[in-house]
Amino acid sequence: MFERFTKDARSVVEGALEHAREGGARTVGAEHLLLALLDREGGRASFALSALGLAERREPVRRDLAEARRRAGLTRADTDALADLGIDVTEIVSRVEEAHGVGALAGRHEGGGRRPRFDRGAKAVLERSLRIALAHRDRHIGDEHLLLALTALPGTPADVLADHGVTYATAAGVLYGPEHEGGMAQAG
Amino acid sequence: MTEATDLAERAGDRDPRVGLRAVAALRRLLEQLEAVQVRSARHQGWSWQEIAAELGVSRQAVHKKYGRQ
Repeated sequence: MFERFTKDARSVVEGALEHAREGGARTVGAEHLLLALLDREGGRASFALSALGLAERREPVRRDLAEARRRAGLTRADTDALADLGIDVTEIVSRVEEAHGVGALAGRHEGGGRRPRFDRGAKAVLERSLRIALAHRDRHIGDEHLLLALTALPGTPADVLADHGVTYATAAGVLYGPEHEGGMAQAG
Repeated sequence: MTEATDLAERAGDRDPRVGLRAVAALRRLLEQLEAVQVRSARHQGWSWQEIAAELGVSRQAVHKKYGRQ
């Protein structure tokens, strides 16, 4: 599958590995792919993000991702849903951090030094990007397909992007034209 | 409108999506909490057997999940 990846898409995958390593993660997750995408300049994904007004707002996206990581990967929508059940995630995080240190719930694992492997979520993003490219009859998988896949799959990256106005519909709209703003999120 | 406020509003209508999201979120929180507690117990010298007994699972299950960290 990787032979169909463009240079841009490959560097996102490599960048994700680097982000995982720097963060002390044992696995590369979908959020690492998003972090790597945010680093990119000049690619199709970068164009889409800028077109959606994210040119200057990449830092807040990074911050929201970091915040979510600290809360065991839970996004604002997740914590709101739990608050509905009377569960105060902020309180839980602060108590756990009091006892076990800041970032205790962030899933960091020191040591090892082994090459992190791609977790199920990250693999799902790569697979979905292939299907999205096929659905659009694109011959190669570019970083824009990775972006679309990240918005299409439920999870922290999609939630954080949606909070900043980037959904499958809006991203497909700027990449492929307004007629693609429909329900393509189910593609594949 | 952000997805978060959107969800918060729908919560009033007992939208199953909010309840299901809460369950999925709780599961993720639980996974991380378990990892924190198991690591902490190991640092304090607990055996896999002791940890497994407290969690109500088999020693093999805990070791397989956390043993190589």
